[in-house]
Amino acid sequence: MLSRAFGIALWVALAAAVLFLTLPLLALFLRVPPVELVAQLGSERAREALRVSLTTSLVAHTLILGFGTPAAYLLATKSFRGRSLVVALLELPLVVPPAVAGIGLLAAFGRSGLLGDELGALGLSIPFTQLAVVLAVCFVASPFYVRGAIAAFEAVDPRLLDASRTLGADRGRTFRRVALPLAAGGLGAGSTLAFARGLGEFGATIMFAGSLPGLTQTAPLAIYDSLDQDFDVALALGALFVVFSISILLAAKLIPSWTRSGSISPFPFARSRST
Amino acid sequence: MRVCAFAAVVAVLVAGCGGSDETQLDVFAASSMRDVAPEVDDAPRYTFAGSDELAAQIRDGAPADVFLSASGAPMEELRSAGLVDAPVVFASNRLVVVVPEGNPAGLEELGDLARPGIKLILGGEGVPIGDYAREALAAAGLEAALENVVSLEQDVKGVLGKVALGEADAGIVYTTDVRAAAEDVRELAIPDDVQPDVRYYAAVVAAGDTDRAAEFVERLAGDEGGRALRAAGFLPVPSRAE
Repeated sequence: MLSRAFGIALWVALAAAVLFLTLPLLALFLRVPPVELVAQLGSERAREALRVSLTTSLVAHTLILGFGTPAAYLLATKSFRGRSLVVALLELPLVVPPAVAGIGLLAAFGRSGLLGDELGALGLSIPFTQLAVVLAVCFVASPFYVRGAIAAFEAVDPRLLDASRTLGADRGRTFRRVALPLAAGGLGAGSTLAFARGLGEFGATIMFAGSLPGLTQTAPLAIYDSLDQDFDVALALGALFVVFSISILLAAKLIPSWTRSGSISPFPFARSRST
Repeated sequence: MRVCAFAAVVAVLVAGCGGSDETQLDVFAASSMRDVAPEVDDAPRYTFAGSDELAAQIRDGAPADVFLSASGAPMEELRSAGLVDAPVVFASNRLVVVVPEGNPAGLEELGDLARPGIKLILGGEGVPIGDYAREALAAAGLEAALENVVSLEQDVKGVLGKVALGEADAGIVYTTDVRAAAEDVRELAIPDDVQPDVRYYAAVVAAGDTDRAAEFVERLAGDEGGRALRAAGFLPVPSRAE
């Protein structure tokens, strides 16, 4: 009897969670007819915001992959004093509120910030530029990639790397030809998550980069800015984000199974049943 | 049994979060009223933001009893939807250019805002301080200054904050805002002939506690409110535009 009640309680909790998490997203689509949604996406405000979002996200993502991949490889294959501390530092932005990140970026790279004079001497003024958006996105999104990348490289059997070395490949070649392909699934999953998080960046961006349509106003900022005037634009951008996010999530779930390193789950918190 | 206890706890928590304190008046006020409103009456619970944003919140059912708007448009929008009673004009204000302490761009007058390369911050479209500032710039024939805008903020405190941090060269705010950041910014006057007609409106929100809201509005628009508003630098209601 008790165990039956327990079973029911589990289902009730699951139903409540699913309902609560999907209802707001569903409501976005129900409030405005689909035709209207598509029409609003054609509005100049929405198009500009999407363009700014995509450009800055792509640049930021290139930087994240470019620096994150080698850094993660080093952390996954070498043990050294203070390694845990370094990993913790890289993951810190995950738990720092974006508003704090924004203030921190201003305090570091702002005109009157820590490096303000040095950057000024180079003729650089970062706040209110697309570079500021890129930095904000890098700051908040990179841990999502680095975390996944470390796990992916760690899951590569070190004996395969050793074998590659004994067969005459140098470290660079081993990295390119053995480690990267084997870790590709995990890297891809981490990469998609970081990209999605970066596209959605709001708090650090509005503080560090400001909000100017066509320059620094990304899609999330445009949603916020449209709320009080152009609710339909806000809804349309919101709905687009939902569609995009669902595709990202599906991709992140599917990528690992498409590649040879299918045994690596990109989600330490949501292992698939087969593992 | 435990499930019931859990459910009960959740119910109590949810009720606690959702229910507002019935005894406190909720006043939604323009950001520029932040310092002065509690001096008129410190009993209500205040929510400060851009007037347009507050109007949007009231439209969506936020529990406001009184709405204080820094311009006519957000108020008219709510009035035409029948969400507020007839508003009264209770104060006026003036605009001023603020530059960071040290004045990094060496600005001396309003006209300098049109100089190429200046980093200017204004309020956004529909935000009263932004619309007033664009009105003043247009009146002064300084449309070129709009090319220098690097960020559009949601309310006047956002403009002031970024200038006070020294990240922008200039911003346009109300004279009454400068007091809050007097140590971090310097003022450049905007000439009388291009000053917009800034009007603050107060209205009772129809869905709120209308009796006590009406008392609050009366107090704000009366002698007591007038004294506090003047002490904070607000001006009496202008008559020139009548």
